[in-house]
Amino acid sequence: MGKVNIEIDGKKLVADVGSMIIEVADDADIYIPRFCYHKKLSVAANCRMCMVDVSNLPKAVPACATPVADGMVIQTQTPKAVDAQKSVMEFLLINHPLDCPVCDQGGECELQDLSVGYGEDVSRYVEGKRVVKDKDLGPLISTDMTRCIHCTRCVRFGQEIVGIREMGATGRGEHVEIGTYIESTMDSEVSANIIDLCPVGALTAKPSRYKARAWELRESPSIAAHDCLGSNVNVHHRRGEIIRVVPRENEAINEVWLSDRDRFSYQALTDGKRLLQPKIKKNGQWESCDWQTALNFAMTEMKRIIGASNGDNFGAIIGNNSTTEESYLAQKILRGLGCNNIDFRTRRRDFSADDKGNVRSGLNFPLQDLEHMDATLLVAGDLRHEQPLATLRVRKSTGFGKAMAINPFDGEYNFRLSHEIQPEPHLLANEFACVLSAVAAKKDDAISAEIKEWLSGVEHNKVHSEMADELIAGEQTCILLGVYAQEHPQAETINWLGEQVAKLTDSKWGYMTQGCNAAGNKLAGAVPNQSEVGGRATLGKNAKQMLNEGLKGYLIHNCEPDVESLWSEQALENFNNAECVIALTSYDDGRMLDYANVMLPIAGNFETSGTFINIEGIWQSFAAAVAAPGDVRPAWKILRVLGNLFELNGFDYESSIQIRDELREKYEVSGDKKVSRKMPEVLCSSEKFEAPRESLGLYRVDPMVRRAEALQKTPKASTHPISISRVKT
Amino acid sequence: MNKKLKQFLNSFLLIELLKGLAVTGRHMFSRKVTIQYPEEKTPQSPRFRGLHALRSYPNGEERCIACKLCEAVCPAAAITIEAGVRESDGSRRTTKYEIDLFKCIFCGFCEESCPVDSIVETRVFDYHFEEQGAQIMTKEKLLEIGLLHEEQLAKDIESDAKYR
Ligand code: SF4
Ligand code: SF4
Ligand code: SF4
Ligand code: FES
Repeated sequence: MGKVNIEIDGKKLVADVGSMIIEVADDADIYIPRFCYHKKLSVAANCRMCMVDVSNLPKAVPACATPVADGMVIQTQTPKAVDAQKSVMEFLLINHPLDCPVCDQGGECELQDLSVGYGEDVSRYVEGKRVVKDKDLGPLISTDMTRCIHCTRCVRFGQEIVGIREMGATGRGEHVEIGTYIESTMDSEVSANIIDLCPVGALTAKPSRYKARAWELRESPSIAAHDCLGSNVNVHHRRGEIIRVVPRENEAINEVWLSDRDRFSYQALTDGKRLLQPKIKKNGQWESCDWQTALNFAMTEMKRIIGASNGDNFGAIIGNNSTTEESYLAQKILRGLGCNNIDFRTRRRDFSADDKGNVRSGLNFPLQDLEHMDATLLVAGDLRHEQPLATLRVRKSTGFGKAMAINPFDGEYNFRLSHEIQPEPHLLANEFACVLSAVAAKKDDAISAEIKEWLSGVEHNKVHSEMADELIAGEQTCILLGVYAQEHPQAETINWLGEQVAKLTDSKWGYMTQGCNAAGNKLAGAVPNQSEVGGRATLGKNAKQMLNEGLKGYLIHNCEPDVESLWSEQALENFNNAECVIALTSYDDGRMLDYANVMLPIAGNFETSGTFINIEGIWQSFAAAVAAPGDVRPAWKILRVLGNLFELNGFDYESSIQIRDELREKYEVSGDKKVSRKMPEVLCSSEKFEAPRESLGLYRVDPMVRRAEALQKTPKASTHPISISRVKT
Repeated sequence: MNKKLKQFLNSFLLIELLKGLAVTGRHMFSRKVTIQYPEEKTPQSPRFRGLHALRSYPNGEERCIACKLCEAVCPAAAITIEAGVRESDGSRRTTKYEIDLFKCIFCGFCEESCPVDSIVETRVFDYHFEEQGAQIMTKEKLLEIGLLHEEQLAKDIESDAKYR
């Protein structure tokens, strides 16, 4: 890309040809006021606030829409520029109501700030102001459309980033209104980003409406816990109460966006029915007690059951969103007691690869690359609802590349698919194998005889062949296996196919995981086949066995297998029949009250410190943003004390950081273990199996999300999970 | 020598005593300023900064819109506000409004910052508390004081309006 020399406010700068003045100024830390410009959106140039003075031009020009040219001399503070900005400001304020005192944006409002800089203190305008009726955009976003300054950021966001035109401008001039054309709620999974985008208080967050002012809030960085990307967030809290969660910019992960799920799930902590004290069930009645009593009870029961059965009759189910430290301690305790029944994969059916040590789970390439793909093949993933922000990246790639899907879902995509196959769920692996066969046909020389043999009898058709063509032709291509692929009874076959197709077509490949810390949990050893960092362990029972076989005792950490696992009914029954169920939970409700025998209150996300490892393998540690209420303790502390009670060695951590460092050290020594996937023996077993027909659903993924009131009120909460019923042929 | 003589005359002739008595005498006939508190009270400025009150509109609606400017401006951090959406009409209202009078330094900043003339300081300055915690003026108490003094408050604000 060519470079040009320009000068802004006397600063000599080198800029890329084609970049706009405002981008160059932003990079050089020279502030130019703006309303409609946003670095992630297209240039609309409709607010005219960014006027700058370019030498040799008779009038001030908008910096966001004027490309730089060699030798340009730009002034941002000359009377010409400032006058233009002042006039724009005056026009904007004509119709803007004077309601900053009741506006939630007050204190962090771009219009407010700029009117201090460029506005007059007394208005010359005496005529009546315009009033616009508010729109009902659903339970997440509240509107005060009179405040709208028609910057169209929200419109462009829907159109360009999400690909769903939810908002639009109707009318002209004085009568322009921003709204949803027909009265309808916003129901994309990332809709609430328009709250951040809106420079004024026209769009604000409904759950935190009127709760606090910007200046009262304290900000703590944290990591969101509801999908495997590990979006970076800032938690805004006041007097120890979380008021809202906003995205923290991280180009490599969430850019500047945040999914609604990550943004509003905090409500479970503030408004949910929290368990504030340890409780023991005595004669069917719950009694609050102190930690000592509760932990002693838990310890005695565990000792008894594990001792009586050699560790066979006790099992731990770890929640998907547990921190790496928690999982590490949990497995350390269990293995210390001689019990290997621990698992977090309550939504997995295929455990056939469990005896082969593999540490890494997830993507084998940077998430960011998703947006540069010439071809993306999505296999069995409801990407939009599982990793909403990953979809935005794939969507970007469809601007020039192709997206294809083999998906048993009656999928909702926000990008155009060039090819789509919608197989019956149980034929998923077969369809994928057809693609491999199509690739094999084109790359005959690169294929081993073994695979050829395996593929004999797999017939591919035109669509498969075209898919293969795309993958082979594209320079950067990838195969993305969705969460459903991992839930599928043939998950390992699908993984193997993914690997093979990727190898043959020189694509990247990776799979998405359920929850936010699958990689971390696995690395920490919360799996029955290996201890931390892929260490050797006697093979224990996996989640499927534990939930189906009916053990005498269970430890349930931060999850509700009776709701979210694939065997919810069996789980419920077995929990009810168990002698002792020890539940580490944040909430004092649900069926857990029936089946648990002791409940230990653990701090929720944002209340505990820890580490999440995302699919890309990035370790993201965070500190607690707020203190947990009541007698609630961070789970790592509870597990540490439990470890001490059992008199196990190596449980004298003073902070979660020590735990992490210990694990990290071990990981650095062991490194990523290379997985060698064995070729599945047969593509499809002759016995016909019933493949699952339902996904977990956007707002049902974990206990926290299920208790977030606003999210549960959205239309998506009831129409999702989508069931896989219709098959396109 | 001279000095000593002067001293002697001064004390022998009781000159200093007479000087003092002259002051007393003068004041016996001048205008009296002592007032019989509490029966009588000194005049107060319309800007007097006494006990706080929250005002209401004539229709009974509280004025305060929970903007929290007073809370932010208070140098003594005496004001605590919690706000939310009022169930009945969705408007922005305080759910808790408290002033700790032990913290308050009666600077009047809160009054000045209020965009709707809601929090004001009345002319009341003589009050006491008998119980621990009574110094926390709750929203109810403040609104009540507001109602009690509304007439005076309105007049005071009116008379001061032209200087604002
Ligand atoms: S609602 Fe906000 S973001 Fe949308 S056009 Fe109006 S001011 Fe811009
Ligand atoms: S008078 Fe001053 S110190 Fe007292 S509450 Fe008001 S702002 Fe605070
Ligand atoms: S009393 Fe006035 S300044 Fe204080 S919150 Fe209410 S409206 Fe705002
Ligand atoms: S920011 Fe340039 S015209 Fe709006």
